[in-house]
Amino acid sequence: MKKQSKIAYAFLAPFLILFVAFYLSPIVYAAYLSLFTKKRIGLRAAQDVFSGVTNYIRGFQDVNFLTSLKNILIFGIFQIPTMLIAALILALLLDQSRGLLMRVCRTIYFIPYTIPIAIGGLVWGCLYARDLSPVNQLLSTLNLARIDFLSPSLILFSIANITFWTWTGYNMITLFAALKNIPDELSEAARVDGAKRWDIVWRIKLPLLMPTFQLLFLFSIIGTSQIFAEAWVLRPIEYVADNITPNVYIYLTAARDTNYSYAAALAILLAAVVFAISSFLLRKLQPH
Amino acid sequence: MATVNDEFTREAAPAKSLRTAVLLVFLLYFATPALWVLFAITKNPSQIFTTFGLWFAQPFHFFENVSELFSYQGGIYARWFGNSIIYAATISAVSTMICAAGAYAFAKYDFWGRKALFSFILGTIMVPNTALVLPLFLLMNKLGLIDTYWGVILPGLVNPFGLYLMRVFWDSGFPTDLLEAARLDGASELRIFWSVGLPLMPTGLVTVALLSFVGAWNNFFLPLIVLNRDSLFPLTLGMNVWNSIIHSGGGKPIYNLIALGSLISVLPLLVAFIFLGRYWQGGITGGATKG
Amino acid sequence: MKIHHFLCAAIAASIPSLVCAQSNSSQPDYTKFAVEPGAQLEVWSWVVGLDSVAKDFEKEFPNIKVKVDNIGGGPTEYQKLQTAIKAGSGAPDVAQIEYDFLPSFIVTDGLADLTPFGAEQAKSYFVGWTWGQVSPDGKIVYGIPQDIGPLALMYNKKTFDKYQIAVPKTWDEFAAQAEKLSKASQGKVKIVNFFADYAPWFIGLAWAADGKFFETSDDTWSQELNNPIAEKVLTYWNDLVKKGYATTYKGFTPELYNAFANGEIAASVEAAWGPGVMAASLKERTAGDWRVAPLPQWKAGEAKSGNWGGSAFVVTKQSKFPRAATLFNIWLNTHRSAVLNNWYNTGIFPASIQGLADPELHMPDKDPSKFCGGQNVVQVYADAAKGVNVDFAWSPWFAFVNDNYNKQMSEMVAGKFTPRQALDAWQADSLKNAKDQGFEVKSQ
Repeated sequence: MKKQSKIAYAFLAPFLILFVAFYLSPIVYAAYLSLFTKKRIGLRAAQDVFSGVTNYIRGFQDVNFLTSLKNILIFGIFQIPTMLIAALILALLLDQSRGLLMRVCRTIYFIPYTIPIAIGGLVWGCLYARDLSPVNQLLSTLNLARIDFLSPSLILFSIANITFWTWTGYNMITLFAALKNIPDELSEAARVDGAKRWDIVWRIKLPLLMPTFQLLFLFSIIGTSQIFAEAWVLRPIEYVADNITPNVYIYLTAARDTNYSYAAALAILLAAVVFAISSFLLRKLQPH
Repeated sequence: MATVNDEFTREAAPAKSLRTAVLLVFLLYFATPALWVLFAITKNPSQIFTTFGLWFAQPFHFFENVSELFSYQGGIYARWFGNSIIYAATISAVSTMICAAGAYAFAKYDFWGRKALFSFILGTIMVPNTALVLPLFLLMNKLGLIDTYWGVILPGLVNPFGLYLMRVFWDSGFPTDLLEAARLDGASELRIFWSVGLPLMPTGLVTVALLSFVGAWNNFFLPLIVLNRDSLFPLTLGMNVWNSIIHSGGGKPIYNLIALGSLISVLPLLVAFIFLGRYWQGGITGGATKG
Repeated sequence: MKIHHFLCAAIAASIPSLVCAQSNSSQPDYTKFAVEPGAQLEVWSWVVGLDSVAKDFEKEFPNIKVKVDNIGGGPTEYQKLQTAIKAGSGAPDVAQIEYDFLPSFIVTDGLADLTPFGAEQAKSYFVGWTWGQVSPDGKIVYGIPQDIGPLALMYNKKTFDKYQIAVPKTWDEFAAQAEKLSKASQGKVKIVNFFADYAPWFIGLAWAADGKFFETSDDTWSQELNNPIAEKVLTYWNDLVKKGYATTYKGFTPELYNAFANGEIAASVEAAWGPGVMAASLKERTAGDWRVAPLPQWKAGEAKSGNWGGSAFVVTKQSKFPRAATLFNIWLNTHRSAVLNNWYNTGIFPASIQGLADPELHMPDKDPSKFCGGQNVVQVYADAAKGVNVDFAWSPWFAFVNDNYNKQMSEMVAGKFTPRQALDAWQADSLKNAKDQGFEVKSQ
């Protein structure tokens, strides 16, 4: 291809204009904001003072922020593999199935993805609420103690459950489609050679799924780092810590405390952390 | 010729029942919230509290709930539904075309900054949007877009992931030789894109359009920032406002309306996926298996 | 003079929109307020039914158009308002702000001083300490008070009679009755609910015991959330929770109201708007069974109370029609029909002196009196209002303090913190947050 910058940029123009205007400029402005801190005297309005990297240093030392990062890390370590492996297993199982069960399962597993997280989280909130939860209703009738799904010890699990419920189907369908893309001849050839069903899965299908898997893994990391709505919709129901996830903490720092500059710095720190982790992990997962 | 089907006839019975059992367990798991909703929409609020969540209660209140849903707060639900359709349809249609054009550039042309620009665009996905509360608000304010439909639509048109996907589809679905042949025939670049390239992309376009529709339909954060007047809210925001009203002073416990409203809000997406399902089934992975 | 006044009042009572042009009449003279021509006001408020009250206003002042938007209750609206003020545009003309959040808006320099627009004319119509809330320095007036929430004890008489519980007058008696109730009902009925998620409720209780949390002098602030009175009050309530005499439901949830309705909770420390909210939430369940008694005291014979809630209506500097906005705010909170409508719609307990004395508020066959068996609950609360310490200030970082309270309380209720530790953590976190926000604060 010869260089055709002019025509290429013509095609890119609509995207780039919108991208720069509505995506990039807020980010750049936020980065600029992050270099200021507030100074207040008495009852008068705050002055924004240029402070360089003060906010970033503060972020590194902010116990609440670090705890939220820790929460996300724990969340990621447990939830992402669980979700992807479940998606993989379900995809493989469905690949082996036929008929009505397969079609019904495929649809039902996928539907949660189509439900807005704000609404799905809301419904799960009802399923978690002390008095509304069918689980607790059952426990009550059996005279057993009710489970408080939203208590500090269970809250991460409950949020992880919402995420799992929402995204497993999406990941599963993607893997399922990838499986369907694997030519039958490959499996056939292996079978003719005497390979067992399990070997076919392990030696042929899984390696070919790797690229898809990596992609889903990357998106899961990014998605996990930005968890907001799942936790946010649970807040009206019962107390959820304001630093349960970094994104909730950042939002409250901006919206509740009106500390926009600090929030911007934290967001950039978060992005940097995510970038570092994903680069590291992706390199490790590169096909050999 | 022995086919894969033979595998099934030879499958051991225990393995098959194990597989079926696992699938059924997960079926129950994924369906439970929907089941709760289905039962809740037939109850009134006090029944929701006093009767078992996963079964019916007498008397039925389904039709009452339906009429209350559409009359509550002056029938704002229908308005919210309409708003969601406007936002999602517009964003989906327009952003798909924009992504198609942009991705075409990356896929079919070599130009200055090509690699760096693509990585950069994708990289921005990593920045959490919550820090953009003030910057976005300031920007929308300057442009006079607060509390307007455009305020939600314009930022929603930016879809880096859609760009990535379309590029994958262009790479695998529009062979360069075809492109060269069309050029030799004397067609203009724009003509090639429009009349030769696009028709080859139904899967890609539908995939990106559907995903974009879902994203726009489910959008929560952007409307939260940009919209004040509830007559412009999409369903996600509306349902959540109702939810927070329940939990603040003097609120009616309208769980039944929230359940019904949520259910109806999901229907358009379901319909879209069921009808357009076959186009996009293989979609996402189009080029992914090629790595 | 006296007869004229009486006639005026009688006429005013029968034709609510008539205004008497008397200096000591029941309402300010609205005609004395000059307004901008063609004014259009945008109002942000979550008061139920405000849009129809606004329509009444438009009828009386056809040159002013009013649009009411419910942006969301409390914090949701505050977040948007803060952003709009910071951005320099997008703010409404009028906004409802609770007293405890008012300072956090005063420091944005985004609220208009209402004195040039005639606010002083309204001062005498409001309960004294509320004016202190909207005008902390006594010079600039940042808003017009709407309502107050003095605290009293609401109790279910039927339940009390059933278990022969006496209405406690002191906190010692309260604790004793709590124990008696628990024993008599085998632990099934708890005497009260502890609101572990509403800092203003707890602060109100400490306020009633003369606790002080925030002070400002010159340009610095001081904060002592862990003051000895707070500790005394919190320890008392923690004991109730630990012994099983108090439940810990989240406030304003159906779960809580369910517990009231099915007799699990026998009483509640409620603000003046509490009975109205209860009546609206419980409807027919336990209707007529409730009564209101004065708040229990720490020292027998005293009649102190604290305040929970209450809002002011402010005018933003971005408003193009500050005169009209000021008039709207004053009218809304002094005009008899408006005050009464707010009372009927949402049980808003007026800050206006005339409003408090209005016979309409004492209707025994209408809620909340009806819900309380016809008792004149307004009188109990009006008396309580007299016992509220006027010297109480809030801080501009209260949003964080408010939120953080929930965090510490959830640890305390779970048994992980002692009251002392909870208060210390609350103090430490809030102090740090205030400093991060740029304030000069010290702990007392």
